[in-house]
Amino acid sequence: MATRTNWEEFSKGLWLDNPVSRQLLGMCSTLAITNAVINGIAMGLAVGFVMICSSFLVSLIRKFIPNQVRIASYIVIIASFVTIADRFLAAYFPPLSKALGPYVPLIVVNCIILGRAEAFASKNTVGRSLIDALGMSVGYIVALLILSSVREILGSGTILGYGVMGDWFEPWIIMILPPGAFIALGILIAIAFQIERKVKQRS
Amino acid sequence: MRLSRRMLIVLSLIGLVSGALLMSVNMFTKDRIASNRKKEIEKAVIKVIPGTKSSLKIYEEKDFTVYKGRDDQGNVLGIAINTAAGGFQDRIFYIFGLDTQLTRINSLFVLDQKETPGLGAKIASAEAFLQFWEGRDVKQPLVLRKPAVKKDALAQNEVNTVTGATISSRAILASVNVALEKIKKLKQEGRFSIEGSDGD
Repeated sequence: MATRTNWEEFSKGLWLDNPVSRQLLGMCSTLAITNAVINGIAMGLAVGFVMICSSFLVSLIRKFIPNQVRIASYIVIIASFVTIADRFLAAYFPPLSKALGPYVPLIVVNCIILGRAEAFASKNTVGRSLIDALGMSVGYIVALLILSSVREILGSGTILGYGVMGDWFEPWIIMILPPGAFIALGILIAIAFQIERKVKQRS
Repeated sequence: MRLSRRMLIVLSLIGLVSGALLMSVNMFTKDRIASNRKKEIEKAVIKVIPGTKSSLKIYEEKDFTVYKGRDDQGNVLGIAINTAAGGFQDRIFYIFGLDTQLTRINSLFVLDQKETPGLGAKIASAEAFLQFWEGRDVKQPLVLRKPAVKKDALAQNEVNTVTGATISSRAILASVNVALEKIKKLKQEGRFSIEGSDGD
């Protein structure tokens, strides 16, 4: 594990260990908020902020935390950053805060963040944990962007609120409803696995 | 013993630091969040009472807040009621404006709703629903018109139903009727005053 280069540490979050398409973590918020691109971006940035800050802090104090109370400590740290992100959104971006609703406070129990704290930040140096969290955040944001773009284009005929489909286009309302989230996510994961298989076959 | 003491100390320290951090964040953002909320209501009041320059809360209970809107000279132009209806998915928060005699609805706006996109969510659209609320006579209870007809063909106390969203339309209508009854009763009991420039 120590032989990984910094680039490998960063890029594994983008593809090999992508939190959405490979680890299948944090599905609840992923499914719920990807009905519009702007929500996907806001959620991605909020999760990224919390992940980077908490990974940093967890790896910084990892040697002081007794093993028996480590999960409790991580949760307190994560919850603090989530509350900061939540207050910040409510103060400076009220419409976004309204659209994301309860899903911002729920980042506390998002498995991606606790997963990174437990599986990586608690065992690695500050620098490596930061690189890992950064990679995971970018991977998460990219996955949300793809999902929310597909759903917004098909479900509302717009992207970031601007119409991109012609007048002939009748929006598939199902795509912005919960079933559309499952359909889009399923297809996205299937495509990711297919590409992975092709790459493996070739090598 | 040493281990349990260390566990205690570490967890308490983390909790303390988090608490302090959150306190400062709250202090930093609290005014802004409160003013955002106020601005949102203010904007809505101006929308439903045409010509309003300033608004003032005159009555409040759970999910039922009454504002009055005034022009530059301080003349009261009407009142706005901010309340909620039980919709198809979740509660529908809306605001509507009345004249000072409580006999006519100026207009109605939906502030927050989670109805089904494409169907129930149309209750927030002016074209499909909200336009039919303008200038309704509320001396008697409002009724829904189903199926919908042209705006001119509606009686003075009728509102068109949104096609495919009867439950959402009915929810708002029933809630408005309840709110109207309540405001008239409150006025009779003298629980708030419309005229006068009390307590700015």
